[in-house]
Parts: sequence; C-alpha cells; structure tokens
Amino acid sequence: MVILAGVAIFLIVQAAPAIAANWQTNASLTTGPTANQASFWTYVAPLIWGTVFVSAIALVMGAPVAIGIALFISHYAPRRIAGVLGYLIDLLAAVPSIVFGLWGIFVIRPFLLPLTVWLNHNLGWIPIFGGQASATGSTLFAGAVVLAVMMLPIITSISREIFLQTPRLHEEAAFALGATKWEMIRLAVFPYARSGIVSALLLGLGRALGETMAIALIVSPSLKFWVQLLTDGQNSQTVAANIALNFPIADTLQRQALIGTGLMLFVILIAVNLIARTIVARTGPGARNKRAQRKARQLPPTDPGVIATADAAAGPVGATTVATAEGVE
Amino acid sequence: MKLKNLAVAGTIAIAATVALAACSSASPTSTASPAAPLSGTITSGGSSAQANAQTAWAAAFQAQNSGVTINYDKSQGSGGGVTNFLSGTYDFAGTDAALTSDQQTQSQTLCGAGGALDLPVYLSGVAIIFNVPGVTKLNLDSASIAKIFNKKITMWNDPALVALNPGVTLPSAKVTPVVRSDGSGTTNNFTTYLSQVQKANWPYPASSAWPVTGESAQQGGSGVVSTVAAGKDTIGYADQSSIAKATAADIQLGTTSTYVTYSAAGATAAFTEAASANPSTKGDLTQALDYTKISGTNSYPIPLLSYDVVCTTFKTAAQAKLTKAYVGFIDSTIGQAVAAKNAGSAPLPASILADVKSSLASVK
Repeated sequence: MVILAGVAIFLIVQAAPAIAANWQTNASLTTGPTANQASFWTYVAPLIWGTVFVSAIALVMGAPVAIGIALFISHYAPRRIAGVLGYLIDLLAAVPSIVFGLWGIFVIRPFLLPLTVWLNHNLGWIPIFGGQASATGSTLFAGAVVLAVMMLPIITSISREIFLQTPRLHEEAAFALGATKWEMIRLAVFPYARSGIVSALLLGLGRALGETMAIALIVSPSLKFWVQLLTDGQNSQTVAANIALNFPIADTLQRQALIGTGLMLFVILIAVNLIARTIVARTGPGARNKRAQRKARQLPPTDPGVIATADAAAGPVGATTVATAEGVE
Repeated sequence: MKLKNLAVAGTIAIAATVALAACSSASPTSTASPAAPLSGTITSGGSSAQANAQTAWAAAFQAQNSGVTINYDKSQGSGGGVTNFLSGTYDFAGTDAALTSDQQTQSQTLCGAGGALDLPVYLSGVAIIFNVPGVTKLNLDSASIAKIFNKKITMWNDPALVALNPGVTLPSAKVTPVVRSDGSGTTNNFTTYLSQVQKANWPYPASSAWPVTGESAQQGGSGVVSTVAAGKDTIGYADQSSIAKATAADIQLGTTSTYVTYSAAGATAAFTEAASANPSTKGDLTQALDYTKISGTNSYPIPLLSYDVVCTTFKTAAQAKLTKAYVGFIDSTIGQAVAAKNAGSAPLPASILADVKSSLASVK
C-alpha cells in the first residue's frame, strides 16, 4: 500500500508540469513525439482508447480458448495428460514479452497476412475489418493475437484451479439428476466458478493493458481513434508501447508528458482491479456465504424452520456442504 | 592472447620506466604527475546510430589502454543521452542532433561558463531501401522520395517513377512505405533533408518523430530493415550501416541526371560540401548541413552526422584527461578508419578532425 502510494505520488509529481503546460505554445511540447496536440488530454485519449481496444480484442479472442483449455484440463483430459498440459500452459507465462514480440514479428505477422487479406476482402463491410489492408502484417490484429496468447496462461491456470475446486457433491448431484457431462459443467461447475473466471479474465486484461514490448515491436501505430483492425500505420497506439518508443528521444518535458500517460494507465489498471474485486466480492461463493451467515446470525437460532431457510439461502455452496465435499475427497 | 599480454606488460614496463625517469629527472619540488598509462571508467551513452562504431572504438582504445573501461549505453537514444549528460551522469553523450540553445544554457551549470561542445564523430548516410520483386536497381529523385513518403505516389508504376527508371519493369502494385515508430536521429536527418530539398512536396518540419500517419511504422532501424525485407513492394529508410543485405536505391544528385549509389567516400564528399560551422559556443563544432549544396558527381545526397557532447570543464582533471584521450582517439585518422571498417561508417574529412583536436585542447 505504501509502495502503491509512493508510485502514485511519483507519477503525479513527475507528470504535473506536462499536464499543466500549454501544449500549443510550449517550445518543447510542440516538437517531436508530442507535436500537434491541443492539450495533454488530446494526447492521452487516443492512447487510452488504443490500450483498452487492443486488450479487449485480445480478451475476446483469448478468453474462450483459455477457459476451454482450463475445462479440458480439469474435467475432460486423463489425469496424466492433464498434468503435462497444465504444466506446458503454465510455462507460457515464463516466456519474456520481448520473445513474444519477436515471435510476433517473424512468425505471427507473415502467418496472419493471408487471413488479414481474406478478412478484409470478404468481411470488409464490417467496420473493424474494413479499410486498406496492411501489406506488412503490422496490424492491431496481429498484436491482439499475441496478447491473447500472453493472457492464456494467466486465465487458464486460475480458472483451472477454480474448476477443480467445484464440490464433488454438486457434480455427483447433477449426474444423479440425469445431466450429461456438459450439462453437469453448466449446472455445477460454471455457477460455482463464475467469480473466479471473472477475476481470471480481469487479471489477464491487466496483463494485456500493461503490455509493452510485444505491442511496440509488432503494431505499426499512430495517435488516432481507430477501430479498423487490419490497417497499417493507423492503429491506435497503446500507452505502454508509446512510452517505450518515445522515451529515449524525449527531452525533459516530453518525458514528463509520457509519465503523465503512464499515470493514466495506472489509474485504469487500478480501476480494473477494483472492478475485479467488487465483482468477486459481490458474486463470489464466499460472499454469498457471509451474507447467509450474517442473516442466520441475526435470526433467533431456536427456530428450526428459519435455520433451514438460511441454509437454503446459503445455497449449493454452503460452508457445511463444502466441508463435507472435502471430507469425501 | 599470450602475445597481447606480453605487449601489455611491455607497455606497462616501458611506461613505468618512463615514469621512473620522469621522477628522477624532475626537481623535488615539482608536483607534475608522472606519465602513467591511462586508467579509469568512462560512462557514456546516447545515439544508437553510432553504437556499433562506439563498440569498435572502445575495443580499439582498450587494446591500447588496458586500464580503461568504456561504457556506452545505446538504449538511451540521443534524447536520453543528452538528458543524462546534462544531469551529470555521463562523461559524454552521443547524439544525432546538436544541443539546442536551451540545452547549451543548461550545460553551463554543469560544465562552467564555457558550456558544452558538440564534436562530430560519426558520418554515414540515410539509405532508401526497397523490396520489389523483380526490381534490383532503382533510381529515385528527391521529389519522388518526398511523394512516396508523403503518400502522394501510391503505385510502383507511377509515371514519375517509370520516367526515372528506363528499362526497369515496375509492377502495378501498391507502395508500402516503412518508417520508424520510435523517435530517432535517422528520422531527424531524413526529414531535415526532405524539408530542405523538397519544400513543395514535403510540408512538414524536421522532426525526430515521423510526421506522416498511415504508413507501416516499425521500431528501430533493424525493425524497418527486416520489415522491408520481409514485405513485398515495400520501401523504407535506414542508417546505411544497418541495412545489411537490403537493396538500396540510387539517389538523384540535385536536378542532374546523375544517380549516386552510397559509398563512404561519397558521404564524406557530401558532408564537406554541405557542412558549415554553426557554433553555439566557443570551440563548439556544430555543423549546419545544407543538403541543397551537395553537387559533386560522387557525393551521396543524404549524409547522416552524429556528435559526441563533452563539457569544456570536467569535474576532475583526471576524468577530463581520460575522456579527451578517448574522444581524441575517435576523431583521429585511425579511429575513423576503425569505425569505417567495423561499423561501415564514412571517415570525417581531415579539416573536421583538426578542428576537433584544437577544440579538445581547450577542454580541461
């Protein structure tokens, strides 16, 4: 907490002169990377848009795959294969982002080029696939694919752990009601794991929002609000990549401007984390437990009917049930 | 290895002898230090354009002075190099753009009233590289370069390009210009050239950040080179020393019918024609390049210059001596030859080397 406050204070103190400066007349800010901007806010807004947009696209592509893999490992794969597969996915998290960036440049870029052209030609009427298709492959699409791969291990390993914690009794109960395996997963596993999946997704999103090198290397950027994924040199730049690309050449005030954009990213990341926590607190099994327990405590304990209701409210994930399930295991 | 060690031991022995002789011959009251071999650490950094040359210079200098360690941090870039220099962490900064007048004023708090000196150390050229299937040789004039990079020429078989390249079959394909996404001294040099030579077709001021959007922007000179090489119908610009096997276009000289292929001698000749001294303080060797003056039949039209910045007064005399010796070595005929051989740069003309020598003499 102290460190967090320290970082925040550092960012604010460093960024203040650039945020307060006049961007249209200041000699330093009217040249180089910060040229032609009306104010700090017009500079940072497209960057934030780019950051959020590419991360969202990556999340849309990565999340179903990641959750699918997690489900396969936890409920479908034979135990031995599951162990190896889980281990391999976790290893992905150990790959440095610069390696992902280089992989993106030399493998993913040429690999996606035919798909880029095809999407642009056949689905160009959908705005995000429209525009002049890139000839080099340095598109936001390629960047998002690499980001999706980078998010994979985080989302997979957290959701896998949550899926594995589904009480065995719930699963057995679903089977006993005549559910198929998929129905059992929908009835027992997903409701139990919902908050876990949400927090996994938001942690993955956090990784994507702050990603620097891979995006800096792959995406060919500009400072614009842009939704077309397949164009070259028009893609909205992300905050982190913009800092990495322009920091070396920037002078003192330009650096402060870049730190200012970093401050905005910091605010967004904290917001994402807070939202994640709120969602987990609202919908998590623990939360429902607590609420139910609180309710139970408020009621006179002598009335057996009410206690039964409270237990019912605690629902399928009541503390006693979990304890029993663990006992069975 | 053994031979080298022997040589080093020999040098030290000789130096020691000289030192002893100096001691014995000096009068007892003299405080002059003996001529000991150089030792110490030089901390520096900045421009990545001269990084390969700095590696070669450091290796050659350390071979002669084994007690010296030279650190050159290229990750800082020109801007970061100057910032760190002005805050006092660097002994010298490598930069592609000379100090601005603001920075020169700032440097006086660090370097005394004399300020800091920009010394030219590295000369190369900006190459226009392309990858068009079936085309191995391409002639470009400054107008077509400006139009291509300003998205006014969009097809390879544009009449303007066809007219420049008789006998070459240019395909009916879209031109994909590849530029730098990060701030860079190469970009600064290239946009300076375009803004001076082609005002009509290039409405942007010189800038270290690329001004045109909608082109393929890549990180670093190597990013541009690899994207041009991997792509199809691409064209980009990069420091001549970093283009490796990419094919470079021949550039038209002014408005003549001569097209010049890059050569080290051509860059040196062009620099001699274009450069004029533009000192920001006494002894400063900032060169203003006027690209329109380049006219020699062999002169390469887009030379690229990089500086090392040093203080006129160092914090300690020992550090001044060490840095002077190193920069003096860089701007010697041997130093320039070392860089030409190992980093592919062009040697600076002798007149500049002489100027650097006299400027360095005033550094203390």
